Amino acid sequence: MDTVRDGISLLSYFVLPIILVGFPLYGIIKGVPVYESFVEGARDGFQVAVRIIPYLVAILFAIAMFRASGAMEALTKALDPALSLIGFPAELLPMAIIRSLSGSGSAALVVDMINHYGEDSILVKMAAVMYGSSETTFYVIAVYFGAVGIKKTRHAVPAGLIADAAAMVLAVWTVRLLFG
Amino acid sequence: MLNYIWAGLIVSSFVFALGYDIRDISADRYRNGKPLPVSLSFPTGYDSAARRVPIEIWVDSARYAGFYGVSGGSTQHYTGYLLQSREGIQIRFEKGAALPEPLATIAKVSQSRDTEPQGTLVGSVPGPHVTTASAGVVFAPVRFVKLNAIASAALDFAKTGAEIALGLIGVLALFLGLLKIAEDSGIVFALVKLVRPILRPLFPEIPPDHPALGMIALNLTATLFGLGNAATPFGIKAMEELQTLNPSEDTATNSMVMLLAINTASLQLVPPVLLLALMGTQINTLIFPILTTAVLGLIVAIAAARLLGRLPGFRASDPNRAPQA
Repeated sequence: MDTVRDGISLLSYFVLPIILVGFPLYGIIKGVPVYESFVEGARDGFQVAVRIIPYLVAILFAIAMFRASGAMEALTKALDPALSLIGFPAELLPMAIIRSLSGSGSAALVVDMINHYGEDSILVKMAAVMYGSSETTFYVIAVYFGAVGIKKTRHAVPAGLIADAAAMVLAVWTVRLLFG
Repeated sequence: MLNYIWAGLIVSSFVFALGYDIRDISADRYRNGKPLPVSLSFPTGYDSAARRVPIEIWVDSARYAGFYGVSGGSTQHYTGYLLQSREGIQIRFEKGAALPEPLATIAKVSQSRDTEPQGTLVGSVPGPHVTTASAGVVFAPVRFVKLNAIASAALDFAKTGAEIALGLIGVLALFLGLLKIAEDSGIVFALVKLVRPILRPLFPEIPPDHPALGMIALNLTATLFGLGNAATPFGIKAMEELQTLNPSEDTATNSMVMLLAINTASLQLVPPVLLLALMGTQINTLIFPILTTAVLGLIVAIAAARLLGRLPGFRASDPNRAPQA
């Protein structure tokens, strides 16, 4: 297991340099005016960043309000009895809810839980697996759909949330299976 | 769907904030207008003519608990000073004093221009040459804390949203520039040929030789190796390519939803750097559960994106199916 992990992380050191050096190098071999191409493509960077601002602001401020209002704690309390039925620890519920909403918020929760329960505890392991095995769905939606101006997201939100919910429950089960 | 979730978040924050505030007011949680009993001592003596008198403030745990109706806590000790003027005596705590709840919330409202917690001293004004005194402190009234909190959270995060987006400019420019080279030199098309057998079943709408598949492959590779900074520009570029195939301007196609679902599942061979930093060597034992969970999550994401797209409502809104105007 360790050698596999070392191999993968060793490989990941090379991916970025290969892209950074390999693309222009290959381009110049193929006779592409690489500098001109780069500048032309890079020009979009600013527009894309500006284009996603309204989407990001819309998502982030609504989620910030929700967290600040105390509704999060109420939701946690309301869902607790249902989740204890499937063996989901109540301590992890805030993490499960916030994982789809806010990346920095869920990282803060992991830190908080490490301070509270210690790195070795099974709860922290579950929280870390939750953090590592899923993305901040609403951020991804805001950035990716914002960049191309998609406003009608159709089934993107339910699909993302179903996948998140599955990942949260699976995180608890796998950790319990391995360390419980 | 997003419309309802978004409005739901905003409306429920308002309802909950208002509910908590009304509960606080009816329970008189902050004891507005009533004096908190404290003991003062004067390390340099008390001078009634001085504008500023240094003091030490002692808050007895039992009296504090009784006053605010909270439990536990220990006797607290703070430094501060009295500010004497014709209008009366202000008592100011040192800046950044570690106050217990609910006093910490009160101090956020009741503070001086330099953000020192501040209240008005009531009761007997100490006489000359005393070294200790009992007094009461009345803080500025605290009302609708949560309503204030949601408003300021909204303003803060509006700013954060713009900052995140603007912070992306440099990285976006770098990778979009490199991608343009990759496009012009044919790397993307070579990649398309390579990944077509794997990705085609997931994205049946994309024509076989379209560059979108190559961009998706780059996006997934970057994600796989934990390169979030590179994955985002690649993903955005992939979305732009998918948008060129989209007959509608503002409605997501099935391929877009699939790409998004795959990205939210975030299958990474290398765990996020932040998690590495937080968990230290513990991460070694977690690699396997993280990978298992992510793979299973990815399968659920793909299945959910595919199956939900078949529901009548979502099928009707598919831009590739809807009657063209």
